[in-house]
Amino acid sequence: MSYIHVDHLQKTFIIRKKRETGRLLREKETVFALRDLSFVIEKGELVGYIGPNGAGKSTTVKILSGILTPDSGNVSVDGRIPWESRREHVRNIGVVFGQRMQLWWDVPILDSYGLLKEIYRIPDADYRQRLKELTEALQLENLLRTPLRQLSLGQRMRAELCGSLLHRPGLLFLDEPTIGLDAVSKLALRDFLRWENREHGTTILLTTHDMEDIAALCSRVMVLGHGQKLYDGDLPALLEKYDTSRTVTVRFEDPETMPALPEEASLSREGDLVKVVYAPGQIPTPEILEKLQQAGTIREMTIQPQNIDVLIAAMYREMDL
Amino acid sequence: MKTVRLYLRSMKMLMKCQLEYPFSFFLQTLAQLVMEGGEMMAVILIIDRFDRVNQWEAGDLFFFFGIMSVTFYLTECFGRGITGNFPYLIRTGQLDTILLRPRGVLTQVLCSAVDPRRITCIAVGTVSLIIGCNLARVQWTGLKVLAMAEAVLLGAVLILALFVIEAIFCIYSVKSVELVNALSYGGRSACEYPIDIYPRPLRILFTAIAPFALVLHVPAAYILGKPLYAWPEWTAFVCPLAGAVFFGLIYLAFQKAMRFYRSTGS
Repeated sequence: MSYIHVDHLQKTFIIRKKRETGRLLREKETVFALRDLSFVIEKGELVGYIGPNGAGKSTTVKILSGILTPDSGNVSVDGRIPWESRREHVRNIGVVFGQRMQLWWDVPILDSYGLLKEIYRIPDADYRQRLKELTEALQLENLLRTPLRQLSLGQRMRAELCGSLLHRPGLLFLDEPTIGLDAVSKLALRDFLRWENREHGTTILLTTHDMEDIAALCSRVMVLGHGQKLYDGDLPALLEKYDTSRTVTVRFEDPETMPALPEEASLSREGDLVKVVYAPGQIPTPEILEKLQQAGTIREMTIQPQNIDVLIAAMYREMDL
Repeated sequence: MKTVRLYLRSMKMLMKCQLEYPFSFFLQTLAQLVMEGGEMMAVILIIDRFDRVNQWEAGDLFFFFGIMSVTFYLTECFGRGITGNFPYLIRTGQLDTILLRPRGVLTQVLCSAVDPRRITCIAVGTVSLIIGCNLARVQWTGLKVLAMAEAVLLGAVLILALFVIEAIFCIYSVKSVELVNALSYGGRSACEYPIDIYPRPLRILFTAIAPFALVLHVPAAYILGKPLYAWPEWTAFVCPLAGAVFFGLIYLAFQKAMRFYRSTGS
């Protein structure tokens, strides 16, 4: 049996609308947060979970972590039904919300960890070993005596991660962990997640809008929209489907040069740069390059694939999200 | 036992938090003194004017005020998580964080806050109790000490339960919290005075619904040697159990509310 098993999961919310004037009762509307969602995750996988806002990502995470009870469908995580045996279940999971702090605001983070040790009933020896390992990997040694409120966003996120992993959960949920972080912090965080996943075989489900996170970390990505799973597979294959255009930027020796290209390619000029946008499906790249070389001597040239965010936006559009 | 340890450890940490801002702590503690001192002033004025209310003399009134004040503020001090924080935790969605940890919800909420500023209120209550005992010439016996301890303990349980009601209302996103405050804070203010001075509807409210009279007044009257409604002595030990029963009922309602919370989300 797989580590996480989600089978025909369904969840609706009832939204009460604002009362219209002249009517006694408020109208209610049933919104499907999840409809018939099924997937399987094996132990040790690092899965990216993406989808536009309101797609049902958080609902899925809440159900998987035992906070929320679904309307119908089956879920088992490590053989347990999360919402039925909440306490046993949460002992084995860690959850990090990018926008919600779980550590105590005014106390040194070491004190927070001490309290978590008490809450999770972590034996002394395990606690010391794990704390040492995590503070090294997350470079927290010098921050342990600093109150959380005095830490920068990046430091805080590292502190939160450490707190959520002290009890050695086999399953970690990350909800937009890199939101608002600078480039250095992001890279450090990704390195750490890869390390945690490799060293301890921790299964990680990463919810994010940052496609760089997914590209850097996840071998598998699931796309959710309108409460349904729209894609489940590896990222390159997904991108290829939507990677429909390339941009070539050329600087010719003679700035007046204007290449002759097939009609399907669009041509524009920005200063002394010539910009060509084309679809590799329609015109093969070698053909474009050949035409450019024929037009004149090239001094400089770059070929760019589409921005990953643009691809995802195109995908959401096509899937009508 | 582990729960007690968790609670003590949390309290220690939270106290440290409070003392991170020593000046603000000092000022707020002072403000509490003025507030509760004012309440006691009211008792002093009543005694000054009327000397007795029904069969209750000055010492009795100080005693009633004191036992309520000590019980209520001990609860607010050590049960701050429930008396102050709970609705906030629900509204901000922090209850989710609590559900993600392998401990009981009420335990964790109780461990989430402490309010040492109440120390001055407790002190005012204690002073009032001492004055009351002296004026009423209370002869302490082992049984009376037991009755006192039981009253304060179960009083605290009753007060916590009243605040859990507020949390339940919050879970069902009902805004009219004042109704609940009428029971908790209103109960405190009203039951600083012996129950039998009130008209019938209030007596019923604070006996049968929020049983402050059963939990605090029956044992207090027994200690003062003037049994309430001339009830027999054993009632002083049995009536306070109403606090535990009340808590039990609220706890069941709370469990139901949590099931609702977990099926609707925040």
